Amino acid sequence: MNNTVDVIVQQKINEQLFQKLELAYFCVDHSMRVKDASDNLIDYGYEPIRPGSDIEDHIDFMIGLDSHTELDLPIVASPSGIPISVSLLPSENQLTVLIVNASTQADQRQLLQQKANENELLVFQQKKLMVQLEQASLELEKKNMQLEEASRLQTSFLSGVSHEFRTPLTSIIGYTNLVKQDLQKVSQELVPRIVGNDDSPNYLRAVQRSSKHLLSLVENLLDHGKLDSNEIVIRPKATNILEVFEDVELLLKPLSNTKQVELRANIDLPPKALAVLDDSRLRQCLINLVGNAVKFTDIGSVTLDASLTGEVLHVTVEDTGPGISQQDLEKIRLPFWQGSDTGKAGTGLGLTITERLVELMGGELLIKSELGKGTVVEFELPAPLVYLDEPANSLEGIPVKPLRILLAEDDTDIADLVCMMLIERGIEVDRVENGALAVEALKKGRYDLVLMDIHMPIMTGYDALAELNARGDTTPVVVMSASAVDADKAKAIELGCRGYLVKPVDVDDIIGMAGQVLS
Amino acid sequence: MVGDFSVGKTSLTQKFVNNVFSDKYLTTIGVKIDTAIVADTKLIVWDVAGRDSLSPINASYLVGAAGVVLVCDGSRASTVSDLLDIWNTVTERIGVVPAVVALNKADLPEWNISDEMYAAFDKQSWDVFPTSAKEGDNVKEMFEKLVNKLSSQVV
Ligand SMILES: Nc1nc2c(ncn2[C@@H]2O[C@H](COP(=O)(O)OP(=O)(O)OP(=O)(O)O)[C@@H](O)[C@H]2O)c(=O)[nH]1
Ligand SMILES: [Mg+2]
Repeated sequence: MNNTVDVIVQQKINEQLFQKLELAYFCVDHSMRVKDASDNLIDYGYEPIRPGSDIEDHIDFMIGLDSHTELDLPIVASPSGIPISVSLLPSENQLTVLIVNASTQADQRQLLQQKANENELLVFQQKKLMVQLEQASLELEKKNMQLEEASRLQTSFLSGVSHEFRTPLTSIIGYTNLVKQDLQKVSQELVPRIVGNDDSPNYLRAVQRSSKHLLSLVENLLDHGKLDSNEIVIRPKATNILEVFEDVELLLKPLSNTKQVELRANIDLPPKALAVLDDSRLRQCLINLVGNAVKFTDIGSVTLDASLTGEVLHVTVEDTGPGISQQDLEKIRLPFWQGSDTGKAGTGLGLTITERLVELMGGELLIKSELGKGTVVEFELPAPLVYLDEPANSLEGIPVKPLRILLAEDDTDIADLVCMMLIERGIEVDRVENGALAVEALKKGRYDLVLMDIHMPIMTGYDALAELNARGDTTPVVVMSASAVDADKAKAIELGCRGYLVKPVDVDDIIGMAGQVLS
Repeated sequence: MVGDFSVGKTSLTQKFVNNVFSDKYLTTIGVKIDTAIVADTKLIVWDVAGRDSLSPINASYLVGAAGVVLVCDGSRASTVSDLLDIWNTVTERIGVVPAVVALNKADLPEWNISDEMYAAFDKQSWDVFPTSAKEGDNVKEMFEKLVNKLSSQVV
């Protein structure tokens, strides 16, 4: 300290500094014996220290420390709880240890460090959560992909199976028709039980009905697969809507006749109105809805209402059946849902498909139902009206000389059937069993039309079409395939086929198509 | 007691010295000194503030230490690998001293020590203890092992 300052001033300054810093101290020799200690050490929780004693018995932090090394311990918790700052100051013959109150620094530091560390822990937790989230979403994605794959497999399986069913069904339905026609010709009196008259039940009609029902089930399965993979395309065309509804009524009447259910149809449509819509999809929807209503109603009635307001078609199907509970109404739209009444056979797909088809045609299916009171299903479709000449749908106007058709079909049952049906209508038919033979036949003879199956051995219908194109043969080809898959149809059209018929076909389909192609 | 912040240095010390544990986190400032008697040995435990983003370990607090407990949090992988770094800080200031490792918070489901870390610890010939200050598992064993090492070194 400066020599010019009086000793008395110096003492005062020291006093004040000691007080302000709450400075305490002790001195030890190099064997750690206490030489001197300030009284205020007790303020920091240390016991009074007698000179001559071992410092390690009094002050824990001195244990292990070296009396020759200078050391600063910025913040140490003293026994009193007050944070202290400790400085070890060695000299030649002693070590002085200064202790000052470090509360202020410690408090500030505490605040800062606590916040910083807690923040870092939070960040760590967040990161961990993010990783977990990412993992969870990755797993979900994987699960989703597995599910999608499973559903894709299921769809392709369903399509495959239902496709396989079509061919034999075509035979069954066609032959039943032929048998019925033949028998009717032979004698109605001879075999009334088999053929039946209009109001008595008969075996053939039962076979027909069952096989048609089976076919519609198969078709629903196939459609479900296509809806799943967004393959169904709506193909609107000018349609006599009154005819569609009358067809449906005719088709379903027999179904209701077998039960105590009255099928009422209030069809309020202008007789000649043509609307642009997909008639086969509309027919399918109506058959599904009315069919369902009849299926689930045991006593009472099913009413089909249809009307046209401007260019909107309203359809309502109302039944007096058991109704659907609020709970089941939510499930009813799910594919394969069958309800609790397992006695009613079906695939459980009809409603799912109908709903999707109505949507695709621009409408919405509404279902209102109450347990014990019956069910009302309704929808509206846009039905833009057109005024056209009647489409050429028959052979009228086509040259009278007999039509010559070449049939290429490997399934002999179906080939027999188609031949018989066509010959009955006065058409000349030559038949071959594969594409190669068809191409051969066309080299030799002239035909008005070729009816071509697709899946045939040796040469497929596709290859035959390509071959005919290459040869510049212009004989119109109508494809007749068991595949209702749009991609197959598109391929055939790309190869230049003029018409596409999906099996089962009946003779009217063929003749209608021939009329269109040849006119 | 050295290691990253919030790994459980204070908790292990308190569990060992006073047999108490608290879930609350109160970070240690500077150093807190505790005493325990293990067998006939008086153990002075310096519970040092952990290494954190604000500051490294203040090596002044290491001066005079006869051995160290390296503490990490088995549920925070970074605190485990940081031990090698912290060990460097120790040896730079006070040389190689007997050491034990507490892989703390073994009671947590996320507690996980990689094989690489175990191998790295093996190389240092440290005694490694999965500990839980919360449940008390291995706490006594870990401190006693260190005292053991210290006394066998003196003899
Ligand atoms: N579950 C569990 N939690 C623990 C264990 N040990 C400590 N903790 C918790 O971890 C947090 C931090 O513990 P402390 O003992 O304060 O950690 P520290 O290493 O002293 O931290 P700093 O003083 O900041 O370096 C506290 O919330 C404790 O309750 C344990 O073994 N198991
Ligand atoms: Mg602590």
